[in-house]
Amino acid sequence: MRTPRRLAALAATLALATLVAACGGSSVKVGSGTTVKGQKVNGGTVTIAEVGASPNFIFPYPPATNENGYNVNLTMGLWPSLVYVGDGGKSAVNPQASLYSSLKYSDNDTVVTIVLKPWKWSDGVPITSRDFTFTYNLLKANYANWIDYTQGLFPTDVKNVSTPNAHTVVLDLTRSYNPSFYTDDVLAEIPLMPQHAWDKTSATGKVGNYDQTTAGAKAVYAFLQKQGGDMATFDTNPLWKVVDGPWKLGTFNSSGYYSWVPNKNYSGPDKPILDKVVWTPFTTDTAEMDTLRSGTTLDLAGLPSNDVRQISALEAEGYSVAVEPTPGVAEIVPNLYNSAVGPLLQQLYVRQALEYLINRPQIVSKVYAGYADPGNGPVPVLASGSYVSPLEKAGGPYPYSPSKAISLLKAHGWKVAPNGVSTCERAGTGPSDCGAGIKANEPLQLTLLFTSGMASFDQQEAAIQSTEAAAGIKIVLKSEPFNTLISTAGVCSKQSHPASTCGWQLLDYGYEPYSLDPSGASMFNTGGYNNQGGYSSTEENNLINQTEYGPSSSAFYTYEDYTAKQLPWLWLPQPSNLFVYKKNLAGVTPLNPFSGTLNPEVWYYTKPSS
Amino acid sequence: MAAETAPPASLEMDPGSAASTVGQVTARPGGAGRLSWSELLHNKRAMSGLGIVVLIALFCFVGPLLYHTNQVTVNLNIENGPPGPGHLLGTDPYGIDVLGRLMVGGQSSLELGFAVGIASTVLGMLYGAISGMLGGVGDAIMMRVIDTLLAVPTFILLIIVASMFTLNLGVIILILSALSWPGVARLVRAQVLSLRTREFAQAAKTMGATRWRILLYHMVPNTLGVCIVTATFGVADSIYALSALSFLGIGPPPPFADWGTMLTNGVDNLFNGYWWQVYPPLIVLVIVVLAFRQIGDALNDIVSGQQPGRAVRRRRRRFGWLPLASQYE
Amino acid sequence: MTWYLLRRVGQAVAVVIGVMILTFILLHMEPGSVARAVLGLRATPARVAIFDDTYGLNKPLYQQFVIYVKQLLHGNLGVSYQLQQPVSTLIAERLPRDALLLGLSTLLALIIGVPAGIYQAVHHNQLVDDVVAGTWFTLYSAPDFMEALLLIALLCVQFHVFQPNFPGGITSVGGVLTDWRALVLPVVVLSINSVASFSQYARSTAIQELAADYVRVARAKGVPPRQVLTRHVLRNSLLPVITILGMSLPSIVAGAVIAEAVFNFPGMGQLFWQSALSHDFPVLLGATLIIGVATVTGNLLADIAYGVLDPRIRHGS
Repeated sequence: MRTPRRLAALAATLALATLVAACGGSSVKVGSGTTVKGQKVNGGTVTIAEVGASPNFIFPYPPATNENGYNVNLTMGLWPSLVYVGDGGKSAVNPQASLYSSLKYSDNDTVVTIVLKPWKWSDGVPITSRDFTFTYNLLKANYANWIDYTQGLFPTDVKNVSTPNAHTVVLDLTRSYNPSFYTDDVLAEIPLMPQHAWDKTSATGKVGNYDQTTAGAKAVYAFLQKQGGDMATFDTNPLWKVVDGPWKLGTFNSSGYYSWVPNKNYSGPDKPILDKVVWTPFTTDTAEMDTLRSGTTLDLAGLPSNDVRQISALEAEGYSVAVEPTPGVAEIVPNLYNSAVGPLLQQLYVRQALEYLINRPQIVSKVYAGYADPGNGPVPVLASGSYVSPLEKAGGPYPYSPSKAISLLKAHGWKVAPNGVSTCERAGTGPSDCGAGIKANEPLQLTLLFTSGMASFDQQEAAIQSTEAAAGIKIVLKSEPFNTLISTAGVCSKQSHPASTCGWQLLDYGYEPYSLDPSGASMFNTGGYNNQGGYSSTEENNLINQTEYGPSSSAFYTYEDYTAKQLPWLWLPQPSNLFVYKKNLAGVTPLNPFSGTLNPEVWYYTKPSS
Repeated sequence: MAAETAPPASLEMDPGSAASTVGQVTARPGGAGRLSWSELLHNKRAMSGLGIVVLIALFCFVGPLLYHTNQVTVNLNIENGPPGPGHLLGTDPYGIDVLGRLMVGGQSSLELGFAVGIASTVLGMLYGAISGMLGGVGDAIMMRVIDTLLAVPTFILLIIVASMFTLNLGVIILILSALSWPGVARLVRAQVLSLRTREFAQAAKTMGATRWRILLYHMVPNTLGVCIVTATFGVADSIYALSALSFLGIGPPPPFADWGTMLTNGVDNLFNGYWWQVYPPLIVLVIVVLAFRQIGDALNDIVSGQQPGRAVRRRRRRFGWLPLASQYE
Repeated sequence: MTWYLLRRVGQAVAVVIGVMILTFILLHMEPGSVARAVLGLRATPARVAIFDDTYGLNKPLYQQFVIYVKQLLHGNLGVSYQLQQPVSTLIAERLPRDALLLGLSTLLALIIGVPAGIYQAVHHNQLVDDVVAGTWFTLYSAPDFMEALLLIALLCVQFHVFQPNFPGGITSVGGVLTDWRALVLPVVVLSINSVASFSQYARSTAIQELAADYVRVARAKGVPPRQVLTRHVLRNSLLPVITILGMSLPSIVAGAVIAEAVFNFPGMGQLFWQSALSHDFPVLLGATLIIGVATVTGNLLADIAYGVLDPRIRHGS
């Protein structure tokens, strides 16, 4: 996983203290791409619900201590990335909205030539390659204090930056990179900064070329970060009025209520039609649902998956509903180096049995009312477009099959006791024995630690516990609040698995978000910082490297299929996001999976044509 | 914070040294703190409350023997089904029969309520009595310790415990008892302070009884009435506290069942129309709490000497009133 | 009396210090690293190290406490890890809002509860008493969030009488007051519990007052019953209620988590709860300090009132 942008709605699914119990299958069809009829109206205000946390930092490069995923919602409309991700409803790059007119890889993919479009900042000054070098210089001196920095990538993967002319940037990379990986994952994280307005070290100081020295770059960055956290001045500070995106910040107050107003000098293709977009904060999903059901103050809001049954009532209130698949993978992480069950989980056949016993289709239809990704492998089938391999599209290598699980276990010397606890009859390391490190009569019992506070999760884990019992695999459930879970369940590997943080056996904290390129780096490679279970395989490492550095695009499918079969993680269904929006608000669908709902520049109200 | 997870019951048990005893001191002479069993048995309200509690206990503990349901296996295929043949009160999101869950959950709730009520009362009684008897500096120190404990935010404790241990009934009983006993101690100490000045205590002292003897043989029995009243209110509060825990997301994981968690799990389905998941536990919960309050209330009346219908018979100062115009009785 | 006051104030300060130490220790007893809790899934070892350094979390416990106290004495309550705002700002924003909400609900509970309690006392053990008591207890027994949601379902969703939450753009107390309709439901829900206890308390005190000698004397003198009630009984029944108010000071300051969650009211309760879940130590310590001070103040006021009322208790025996 490369550092993903947290998206409002996605973070909302991990919102604290939500109680969502999915209900029975609804027969209501949810539209996606329904056209709104009527005359286009200029102007109008759209009010969007924001559940959970709210932004607290406006400078697009927050410090390493600021984990708030909502900040990107605030800054995305003001300073979009060099590479704009999400084209209509497609998981692909959007060339029209991106800041580059051409992007070429040469010299064995070690040189990237970027030609910028002749766009302008909101104060009329043209966007030039100087802005790129300004951004690069600042990051080069301060990447350790940038929350989105990924080890080994921008800016440390760049040997040299040169600017042949005002609109061209040439990057000399330290090694060759796979072009779609680099474009989709790396360059899509970089918004440009206006050198002519931000290259200063104090509020009253003059703009200069401070960024060209390391000390100067540090001073400028420190100044910008300090200003970036001062919530009281977000809407008045002249720094933040220089934008290159379709929107400017209107008002901002510290409770999380803020608004966007159109940037009249936006150079891009979709100039805003609305007058204002307002975000209003909600402490919990319940409060948001109550507002949706009872009035007219909300124009667009996320719909918790357990409230699917209320779609008809909401439609009667004048709302339409849309689904947006989540780009991410939901999983159960097995701890291969747990002192008690590590040897068990290291055996591939055990993980296969575990996966065979998860009834994913039932979870999708009963827990998430059908609105979820089937969870066939590491890449989400619904949200990752062309990155999905044929194997995954066909259902993945481990469709639900209790009989296969039972025969697997039996073939490896287990005495299977359905609804009891299976025990190992033939300990040993032979091909039909239990495996290395597994003692005779060892019970097949595992503790599943998961995030508490979400009824859909409770339901899902209870269902898994129940279906695993069919082969005598006893799952003990334990739940903790998310932050507690994250802080106590550490990364465990062969080299390092301290008992204090590696007491967990199976871990389900939610899901792992993806950028456009759903790379497995950091999750499945040896020593990856998100590789919590300690899975390690040279073959896997090679395949991942190929996807990042190799030239071919078919390398991705190879990596994907191998990983799906190897089960470093157990694959689970990933719930999609549901939104409700006012019937007369057009342009909302198709939804861009990579910006949540935040393409308000293409929205407009309609009035019925008489 | 305390107001949310363990809301103060009626002020008879409120952890306030001042409030709870002002009225008592001014109008209650003699050994009126005593609980008389015969009075209890004759009190209609106490008996009716007790009867309801017994009935519900039977429902919870004996019911499952008569109405068999599988409370363990999750069956998503029949989740959220309405009441019908086979499932008299429908099913919950796990496909588990609601009526059966009501019974099994009731076992947990009742056990929780009783255990917490008794544990916190016993602890608080001992601590408060000792503190009251000590007086002076010792009393001040002990009371300040109580103040400190009461001022520490309960949330922190709850989250720490939730993260260190798997929440099951035993752990929850421990936590809730630990959170409730300071209040009881406060109350008992105030009671003991006022009892010390009574004639019977003075008399015992002049007869040469040691402080500890007075404590054990005179104070504790006289505070028993108040303690039982507190305990009955504590039962309700602890059941409620567990449901608040679940609502906030740190309750015990499935398949633990009790009325509070059933309620919180069902409450979001209110709008979805799954009324059978919400109203049955709510109604049973309210009935049980009301019954306990009824008992507690009646006990309180007995203990403070406000037995109805007694006024005509006794003219002794013991009950502190005389028959007046009937509107005051 | 002043001696007593001085002694108690001294003890109160000691209690607050004790609370802070205890909370500090409890917080650091939480298993797991704070850095990982706050940084979540993006906590690389390098970032964890930066975090720990920035916030001094790798120093020994007593040193951290000393640093914290030093900061405190300079009026600096620290910066929230999660929200990246000064704790004092956060508290200063939310406290007045909560005070308003809970103050109003306590007031409402008083206005309804005390007269109801006295009325019940007058009709003690008659049917009316039982019915009213039953109503209060039923309302008290049903969990807060249940009542809140039922009210919302009825009054907001079914009949669009009220909005179920606070408009997002309002921060100041003045702003909250301008949209008074949004306050109605939260205040009502919050007052339900207090009404039950105030009325019950007033009732039991009034019963005892009504049985007291001075009431007999007044009746014997021919004072009309109503006057007896309002002039004598009411006043004496109010005194204990006032001590109760002193003790509800901490809850006004602590906010009401459940009501805030349901009614979308960003107050102290929500702040405290989110901080507890996300291991946000500075906020938790700051809020604990405020609540601790409020608790001891409230208790002190209550005990003073108590001492005023009953000299025997004040001087020990």
